Amino acid sequence: MAVSKKSMRWIPWLLILPVVLIRIFTTLYPILATIKNSFYDIRILAGVNEFVGLANYMKIFHDPKVITSITFTIIFVLVSMALHIILGVGLAMILNMKFKGRRFIRTIVLIPWAMPTVVIGMAAKWAFNNDYGLINDFIRWFVPAYQNSWLINTGSARGAVIAMDLWKDLPFFAILVLSGLQFISGDIYEAAKVDGANGIQCFFRITLPLIAKNVLTLCIPFTLWRLTSFDLVYAMTSGGPGEDTALIAYRITTEAFTNLNVGYAAALAIMLFLVMALISWINIRFMNKIGD
Amino acid sequence: MKKINKYKVYRGCVAAGKWILFALVSFVILFPVYWIFVSSITPPGELFQTPIDYIPDHPTLESYKFLIDNVGLLTKIGNTVFIVGLTLVVSTVLCAMAAYGFARFRTKGISLAFAFIVATMLIPEVVTARPLYEFLRAVNLYDTYPGLILLYISTVIPFTVLILRNFVDEIPVSLEEAAAIDGASFTQRLFTVVLPLMKPAIATVCIINFVTCLNNFFTPLFYSNGIQVLSVAIVQLPLRDNMYGIPWDLVSAMGWIILLPIIVFVAIFEKQIMDGIMAGGVKA
Repeated sequence: MAVSKKSMRWIPWLLILPVVLIRIFTTLYPILATIKNSFYDIRILAGVNEFVGLANYMKIFHDPKVITSITFTIIFVLVSMALHIILGVGLAMILNMKFKGRRFIRTIVLIPWAMPTVVIGMAAKWAFNNDYGLINDFIRWFVPAYQNSWLINTGSARGAVIAMDLWKDLPFFAILVLSGLQFISGDIYEAAKVDGANGIQCFFRITLPLIAKNVLTLCIPFTLWRLTSFDLVYAMTSGGPGEDTALIAYRITTEAFTNLNVGYAAALAIMLFLVMALISWINIRFMNKIGD
Repeated sequence: MKKINKYKVYRGCVAAGKWILFALVSFVILFPVYWIFVSSITPPGELFQTPIDYIPDHPTLESYKFLIDNVGLLTKIGNTVFIVGLTLVVSTVLCAMAAYGFARFRTKGISLAFAFIVATMLIPEVVTARPLYEFLRAVNLYDTYPGLILLYISTVIPFTVLILRNFVDEIPVSLEEAAAIDGASFTQRLFTVVLPLMKPAIATVCIINFVTCLNNFFTPLFYSNGIQVLSVAIVQLPLRDNMYGIPWDLVSAMGWIILLPIIVFVAIFEKQIMDGIMAGGVKA
């Protein structure tokens, strides 16, 4: 719409001002402050606050706790994303099936999506308990006298965290894949059937190529969310056993709010942000290339 | 004859396969939810039974009563409802206004502001947490309702603005021009022409944002202390002397209090939620 009168020029700015101001104060200002803090050695408990240049960044690579966190974060992202893609496409196919229970199943998959992650984390903490938990109780239906303290051992604790992450977010991923599936016209499958293609051929030759780009695009935000995942580990394992399930976001908040190493936490946060920005940038470049 | 039988067998297998998958997905999602419910009505002492008793012999609401009497459950529900409710109202008004501005006025400055809003989606909470905490302390907004509501609003802004702007884009400008010719002022056009047309989009956004706000844990955990909402309260429940590790009796009860409205809500708004998720890919 043409706004001809000069006096009307301030109107759009007035309309957008509140949201822009809120976002400036809650994201732009704090991230700039974090960048500045990352060059300082700020330890509140020791009363230290001095400029140290890149020392905080150098420290990252010699800190065993952080290296453990980074290692688990990478494992967590890779394993969880791989399973998201495989199981997510599978679940989307189930949600797309034509049958009587469709509305029911579409409703129940929304429950994990709508549940607060901390509730899932707290429930999981008890569910994975060796003696009284749901998981071992279920396993004992098939393997009597089964014993496993899931959250005590590194491997199984990490596996349990990834499993709960999938339980929470897989339905959400599947619904987004489903939105791509619904655009595929039924005519294509009819034509393929006439030509004698079976179900498996239809899936690999028609469905998968048509949703591949959609699924790849989804992987970017889901990867970024995994990188900043905090609630689940906070509620479920508190980073344990030891530091073995302390995802990097959990590590950063521990440094910033518990150990009060504000400068060091800022350097970690900025490293995380740079990795995320890099992933987004690669994604934009990559998507433009295969877009045509 | 034989051919028809073969076809029937094939169809039967497909139908059975569908039902097996259906049952599997339902079981994986609903069984843990049911277990949380059963635990919440089991007397605390009986939670230490193996195998788990999935149909409690002595159902009791004792854990709920304890939450109300000793943990201040009702205050926490009140806090949550108040913060989430006000967030939804204020954010919707602000974002609807902004969406209109972004959609209808495409000057360089406005487009840049829009790009800024979208770009801030990339900034994770852990990166901004510590300076934001100090900022809130400095301006006396830490652990206050206005401070919390402001931060809750901030978290829903990018998604809401994005969805509503795309929606306003679809509303033909000619409708407003017609109203302008009839002598309607700018505010009249906004409130009597555009806003009523935005109702379905606003409904979708509110439904999704309701879930987002209810799930928000990071904000109340780090930016408040005395004002507790349900998502934080559940990780800070007291351990009663007959429990160890975590107070599962109370956690399951509070978990169920959070879950029950969510299940009802999801059942009612299944269609709108599906549409909303597909439109914006929002993270709850």
